[in-house]
Amino acid sequence: MISVELIAIVVFLLTYALIVDERIHRAVAAMAGAAVVVLLGIVPWDRLLHHVDFGTIFLLMGMMIIVNISRNSGLFEYIAIRTAKLANGSPIKVLLLFSLVTAVVSAFLDNVTTVLLLTPMLLYIAKVMKLNPVPFLLAEILASNVGGAGTLIGDPPNVMIASSAGLTFNEFIFNMGPIAVVDLVIILVMFYLIYGKSLKVDEAERETIVTKLDALDERAAILDLKLFKKSIFTILFVVFMFFIHDKVGSILHTVLPFVDPAMGLEPAEVALIGAAMLLIWSRESPEAIFEKIEWPALFFFGGLFVIVGALVETGVISDIAIFLIAHVNTTGEAMFIIAWFSAFASAIVDNIPLTAALIPLIHDMGATMDIYPLWWALSLGACMGGNGTAIAASANVVVLGIADREGIKISFMDFLKIGMLVLVVTVAVGLGMLYLMYGW
Amino acid sequence: MLPCFRQTTPGVEEALNVGRSINPISEPMEIKMSYYTSLINRKFRDVVGKRYDAVLREYSEFLLTEEEMQVAEVSSILIPLDIFVEDVPPELYEVLSAYDADVTLAYIIDAHVYNIIKETLNESSADELRVKREEYGHSLLSKISDKLEEAGVDSQQRLFLGNKGEDVEKMVGNYDLIALSKSYGAEHGETKDISPLVIRLTQKMTIPTLIY
Repeated sequence: MISVELIAIVVFLLTYALIVDERIHRAVAAMAGAAVVVLLGIVPWDRLLHHVDFGTIFLLMGMMIIVNISRNSGLFEYIAIRTAKLANGSPIKVLLLFSLVTAVVSAFLDNVTTVLLLTPMLLYIAKVMKLNPVPFLLAEILASNVGGAGTLIGDPPNVMIASSAGLTFNEFIFNMGPIAVVDLVIILVMFYLIYGKSLKVDEAERETIVTKLDALDERAAILDLKLFKKSIFTILFVVFMFFIHDKVGSILHTVLPFVDPAMGLEPAEVALIGAAMLLIWSRESPEAIFEKIEWPALFFFGGLFVIVGALVETGVISDIAIFLIAHVNTTGEAMFIIAWFSAFASAIVDNIPLTAALIPLIHDMGATMDIYPLWWALSLGACMGGNGTAIAASANVVVLGIADREGIKISFMDFLKIGMLVLVVTVAVGLGMLYLMYGW
Repeated sequence: MLPCFRQTTPGVEEALNVGRSINPISEPMEIKMSYYTSLINRKFRDVVGKRYDAVLREYSEFLLTEEEMQVAEVSSILIPLDIFVEDVPPELYEVLSAYDADVTLAYIIDAHVYNIIKETLNESSADELRVKREEYGHSLLSKISDKLEEAGVDSQQRLFLGNKGEDVEKMVGNYDLIALSKSYGAEHGETKDISPLVIRLTQKMTIPTLIY
């Protein structure tokens, strides 16, 4: 006898297999899986709306609009050229500075856009320096994933966790920020030790490199100076708003007494307010900007939420949660399991669908234990797990895809060797820091 | 200073923004890609879509192609001069000093004009014009030569009666780079910024050309 639980599990596994293999577009696979569970009545309409996390979808949408408008100003190219010049022809400085810039930009804007716009410049610099670009590319990928781990808006798993668990931007900064900083420093030291000797150019060549890089005109990269300034202002405003999003009511109440002092804004609302502000201010064509929203990514998220919703509706998630609770004695043990499981599973499945599946599980575990530290363990595992393999996170796929197009081959095993090492070290260090904060 | 085609001066080369692409030649697709490579390509296509092409287009405005990155060996430079060239801008001295090259300053007096005066008036009038042109030529050559020396560039001087176009075309075969004044061969016009002779010469040049 076929049970609904079995159907939900089969749809879930099949969809995830399709997402891993990607012969069918991931958004199509997720929507097809969602269609099956909806068609069979496993997830009815009213429950579907409950399972789809609009907080995640609208936050991503708002940030996509801001990034797409900012891109039109040449902001990212400007950052890339400035960073290249700052390195002053030193390969090791290029590696360090680009890693830092990638980490910081990834922490506040989406990882895919960040690496998509910085990678061509990195490849160019490597070409000018006549050096192997692979260490630079690997460092960029790892920095992007680690930087993204540090904030609520830095990586899709964090967006999903925050939206579902109701965590604030500052909580992420407080809990994940230090871990991201420490892990980034560790990665850079590792890269220095591993690749430091090969990243050298002689003094005579360095002069030529500096001349060539200095000849790049960052001002020429600015396509629209007014839009450039407006974009920077809006991004800074939105980041500021994220810092105070849960206290907006009390701040506004001091000047506008009718505003409820208890009111807070969801991160998604902040992103959409920022997007609306920049759309009005920039006078960019809304049609052109809305066209650039990554709709496939948003539908991918929507489909995933419904498929995981089917597991929730059929009780599969709660059964796993009951099993886990029965075998896990402390929150510390649960943190250990969640962090390591999500890290290794993310490395295989991709951290977005993995996080989507684990969020309801952690909610269910909340019936008997304090799950607050578990969210950080999940964030740590999912984000750092993105470094594990070549397909573990979108940033990896983007950089490796660009490298492949430029004739630079980074094999699965090449990536795995450094990726797994970084995964183990960063998760271990991060977990240790979480234990210092929350105990075993 | 307006750099012309195939200009390869280090530092100035990069100021050009003409037809650049950082991905001019795509690697030939392997007939049989490994599963890993095709997986990365599928995922890349699904995540990035057509955005990468747009990014490449944007970057092509700033970055040099591999071909453009090759700095040509320049050991000899020709600078043709005439009555219409009044001076050389300081930027040119800076650019020329970037090369470790010998510079030849060639002042050409228009033989065609000389012959017309000789035929329509008389030889002494033509000689009078030639002497005046030579005086101006020598003073211009000395002035530019001194400034080149200040910039640490060795130079040779030539002054002769000839054809400003054809003689330059014959001479360039012995040089790696030519620097042409926009006024060479004609006075600055109100409508044209570059003299017709310079335009014609740049179209025929087979070596990198700088227009100042």
